[in-house]
Amino acid sequence: MGEAIEQFFASLPARAPAVLRSPIAGTLQIDLTTGNRTDHWLIELAPGSVRVRHEHGPADAVWTSSAGLFERLVTGRAQGIASVLRNECTFSGQVLLFLAFRRFFPDPPGTRDPRQTAREQAGRPA
Amino acid sequence: MTERVSILDGNTFLVCDRQGDIEPSFDFPTGLFSFDTRFLSTWLLTLDGQRLHALSIDDAQSYRTRFFLVPGEPTHYLDAKVSVIRSRSIGGSFAEELTVLNHSEREVEFALRLDMGADFADLFEIKHERQKKGRTSPTVGDNELRLSYRREGFHREVVISTSARGEIDDRGMTFRIRVGRHGEWTTRLHVATNIYGARGEDVRATLPLGGRRGAADIHAEQNDLIDRAPKLGCDCQSLAGAYRRSLNDLAALRYESITLGVRLLAAGLPWFMTLFGRDSLFTSLQLLPFLPALVPPTLLMLAGLQGSRLDDFRDEEPGKILHELRYGETAGFEEQPHSPYYGSADSSPLFVILLDEYERWTGDAGLVRKLESQARAALNWIDTYGDLLGTGYVWYMTRNPETGLQNQCWKDSWDSVSYRDGRLPAFPRATCELQGYAYDAKLRGARMARRIWNDPAYADRLEREAAELKKRFNRDFWIPERGYYALALDPEGRHIDALSSNIGHLLWSGIVDESRAVSVAEHLLGPRLFSGWGVRTLADDQGRYNPVGYHVGTVWPFDNSIIAWGLWKYGFREEAGRICESVVSASRFFDGRLPEAFAGYERDLTDYPVQYPTACSPQAWSAGTPLLLLRVMLGLEPQGEHLIIDPAVPEGMGRVELLDIPGRWGRVDALGRSRSPHDDTRGH
Repeated sequence: MGEAIEQFFASLPARAPAVLRSPIAGTLQIDLTTGNRTDHWLIELAPGSVRVRHEHGPADAVWTSSAGLFERLVTGRAQGIASVLRNECTFSGQVLLFLAFRRFFPDPPGTRDPRQTAREQAGRPA
Repeated sequence: MTERVSILDGNTFLVCDRQGDIEPSFDFPTGLFSFDTRFLSTWLLTLDGQRLHALSIDDAQSYRTRFFLVPGEPTHYLDAKVSVIRSRSIGGSFAEELTVLNHSEREVEFALRLDMGADFADLFEIKHERQKKGRTSPTVGDNELRLSYRREGFHREVVISTSARGEIDDRGMTFRIRVGRHGEWTTRLHVATNIYGARGEDVRATLPLGGRRGAADIHAEQNDLIDRAPKLGCDCQSLAGAYRRSLNDLAALRYESITLGVRLLAAGLPWFMTLFGRDSLFTSLQLLPFLPALVPPTLLMLAGLQGSRLDDFRDEEPGKILHELRYGETAGFEEQPHSPYYGSADSSPLFVILLDEYERWTGDAGLVRKLESQARAALNWIDTYGDLLGTGYVWYMTRNPETGLQNQCWKDSWDSVSYRDGRLPAFPRATCELQGYAYDAKLRGARMARRIWNDPAYADRLEREAAELKKRFNRDFWIPERGYYALALDPEGRHIDALSSNIGHLLWSGIVDESRAVSVAEHLLGPRLFSGWGVRTLADDQGRYNPVGYHVGTVWPFDNSIIAWGLWKYGFREEAGRICESVVSASRFFDGRLPEAFAGYERDLTDYPVQYPTACSPQAWSAGTPLLLLRVMLGLEPQGEHLIIDPAVPEGMGRVELLDIPGRWGRVDALGRSRSPHDDTRGH
């Protein structure tokens, strides 16, 4: 299991108040495969809070992908919905849970604030 | 251009020629499509090696067509000894019943051949023939032909089966048949389109609503939806026809989102059979008084997919409501940005506007509470990422010059925003109607904050900001010497001074100073903008005017419905009525189905509205247009727990009666009648 993934899950409870603002609650199971091995994570989402457990259990929705893809998602180098569309991962259960969870994924590396770019181009102070 | 016949069920649709045949085409999307993939690109019927010719076509229903065919050219068919009936329907899968009728006195042997092929093109690959990156392989079975396409984990498959035995090869089926005197022979062909998930199952099988419905289910669902809509009684046949057709088309355009598992409205056939933020928001605004139950799924999905991060490829920003979501290969492999794409500067304010309007009609405060954080995020977007230059306006400029949209307003073609002399301005651009929507969104946000979110301080702030925006806008966008608002501001803050229909949307938003409303209305109904069939997108004396230019001279029914709403808001009932009358009259020439757009020619010049060459039809917000026009003519406006009815029916329209209008008041009836001596002459 990559360090980026461990760090990502560890950061969720502290980030939840800012990220999970809508009244959505439920449990998302994330199954990450590396070779023959599958790592299970259970994420309990509620307004303003997240509980993360490194285990298997009953869930309202299940996300399955390689650990490699998930590492790209948590570092902003891949995008979740496109991955589903090209069938690089699967998703079943309550879609809104995943849509709420994807809000934890960061910007692609090196992304600039578009306002800064636009103001520079128009010759206006940032 | 060959005339085409289409049937559809949600975002599964089939476009073919007058014989029911499909031949590979790269200019127009002919074929069987589902979720942005073409599953049949060849479907060609011959009898003893001869193509067939249509005697008649029965296409009264959106999901079913019947072709009556005979061999040979039109001049030969009168003594035809044989005819063929193709009876087909669509509903998740596609089914065709082929019947050969022998009209002669003796038994005859025929060779019936159906060529079949699937190129699995993504809708975005149609215009340019491209080498597919994946591989297609055919498998011939006992009574079926299976064509599979794979690219990495991406797997699509079409399975064509026949009820009668035939000779099946990689490219189709041949039936060598003997038909007795005055006898007939039939086979039923079934075409299943499969979209495989990672575990090999059809993704749609796991959706909560069940991904497939047959023709009978569609029929029942459409009827149920139409039964729930108010009943229209009126003297004007064009209006009655357009209303009925609109309800049918709106029912047919509902589709199941493959990734989301809810029923959404597709925007338009054939290019836009998917979820668009702007189109679904405007369509929802139009149909709200009639079919309010269609609105919450749209709001919930747009909220769920709201932008959460900065992503240049997708023009995504936190709080932004999406522009377009696609399901095909190019979206999945990120050759196109539609997963979803966020290049739209109006969908965020429109989202707030629809949420408020929805509650005003239905009293469903629960949804407004549920979507509070998303509505606040959309409002916040207006003042943060929306205000690219920090000048207090909403601006747009794509960060994806390769596959993003240059113009991120409803007129989203490349040349839609120009100066009066035709020059194109630099980016970013701030079109006028975006500021109107922002103003309206703030006021509506304030109403929701005060009444439902219990946040009067936020409401005060939004109202203050709206008032400042209105003042600033009337100072910066008004062109005094021309008497209208500039189409947009360029990055230097100068007027982009073309005269356009966008100023009509400003009336709808309420951002126009009362003292200037007359001048705006006069321009809208004046000879430069008003063609007689409606308001042109661009005035006919502007540099880039072209009567058949997509956003630079054509008349859009949807645009006109919003303009009519705006004129009504400012008390211009007669002017609003003229627009209603002209668009309703135009609908008569399209059997009640208003296309996406028609040409900007003068009404006197052509006597009928000329359809824009590649206009989408049916198109959701065109189908929604007759509904909104009815609202305008009857003056329907919710106020508290009541519905205000203040009709102003245009001259010649006679009686307009709408029964059982649903809302927080239960159901009420509205009756209007035009007052004019000409009313006795009916048959509008």
